[in-house]
Amino acid sequence: MSAPSARTGYVAVLRRDLLLAWRRRGEAALPVLYALIVATLFPFALGPEGALLSRIAAGVVLVTVLLAMLLSLDGLFRPDWEDGSLEQLLLAPQPLGLLLAAKILAHWLTTALPLLLASPLLAAMLHLPTAVLPVLMAALVLATPLMSLLGALVVALTVGTRRSGMLLALMLLPLMVPVVIFAAGAVSAAQQGLPFIAPLAWLGAALVLALVLAPAACAAALRIALDA
Amino acid sequence: MNPRPSPAAATLLEVRELAFARRDEPVFGPLNFDLAGGEIGLIEGDNGSGKTTLLRILAGLLRASSGSARVDGLAPGDPAAAGMALLLGHQLGLKADLGVRENLAVAAGLYGQREGCGITDTITEVGLDGYADVPVRQLSAGQKKRAALARLRLLPARLWLLDEPFANLDRAGIALVNRLLDVHVAGHGAALVTTHGAVSFRDHATRRIALS
Repeated sequence: MSAPSARTGYVAVLRRDLLLAWRRRGEAALPVLYALIVATLFPFALGPEGALLSRIAAGVVLVTVLLAMLLSLDGLFRPDWEDGSLEQLLLAPQPLGLLLAAKILAHWLTTALPLLLASPLLAAMLHLPTAVLPVLMAALVLATPLMSLLGALVVALTVGTRRSGMLLALMLLPLMVPVVIFAAGAVSAAQQGLPFIAPLAWLGAALVLALVLAPAACAAALRIALDA
Repeated sequence: MNPRPSPAAATLLEVRELAFARRDEPVFGPLNFDLAGGEIGLIEGDNGSGKTTLLRILAGLLRASSGSARVDGLAPGDPAAAGMALLLGHQLGLKADLGVRENLAVAAGLYGQREGCGITDTITEVGLDGYADVPVRQLSAGQKKRAALARLRLLPARLWLLDEPFANLDRAGIALVNRLLDVHVAGHGAALVTTHGAVSFRDHATRRIALS
């Protein structure tokens, strides 16, 4: 009658969320389509000059991907909160932070990964020099999990409030400013032929910090949000 | 204050001077009662008298304003007590896109399974034979309730906190809840139940807790 291990619980939650995403796999395409359309608007708004577009391409892709993720973040805890399964997670014998980490991982896999796969296409549409693409991808690989982790924290804080979409953007986007600065800094350094490792290393350091702290902070935030 | 008393007839739930106030407005309490293994407590009270709140406090989701509660000697919300009590609330905690079997598998992955209890048998026991792999969203309200009852049966929790378990159920369903409660109590489990309808249930309760 002993409780299942933390690992069993982690796998159960991860499996459940991936299965749920698979059942509604049409929805996974929405953030990608959103990013595609937003990135398409820039050449229309700014004119199709290759030189201008290639200078702003990395920044546009970066911001577009992060905004597309922002739109999907509300679905991280809200459905679970509404149908009562969040309470089941809160009351489970495993550490809540670990179970939430499984949810965040599943969310990253189902929303950020498709966006990552689509971003070379977005970059090519905007004439990003091919040589810089690996740096942009590296920056995105580090920035998107950061967005998921910080986003989860803010979503956890706002899960009990109604119409939290705008609140989520207002609280989360300021937190993402340093991430955007370092990610864009790496790409623009690479574009000018300068060393770009330092900003990427900063992003990596921030990601490690968030990986350790965000799930536990998320757990505390959820307990507060539900204790009302 | 022995932290792990022996399973039979030992006090499973101990509530002392428990009170709850929402924004300085008293909701209920102070309450005093014990519930031993093998007992069913019936929480009586009008709408808004704090029945659900009491259950959420005992589950460890809410903090009481004053007083204390002990589940098997541990405070609710204590990580060591997690999984000891199982809450069945108005939201059933089922994922609508998953089948009954898949929902139960997730719950078992988190909480474990009662000894000698299989997922398939449990589904049969609650009368959802043939619906095991149907997404929960396609089930009727009563069938959803039965799926949630299957979780109670499957998981090894000793204390059941049931909020209106009879809602949405037909006569056979009400009999099912009573039968599950009997089995649970026979295995030295305990249950706290809130209800306002089902008169048939009253004989089952060995203890009444009135909220005013």
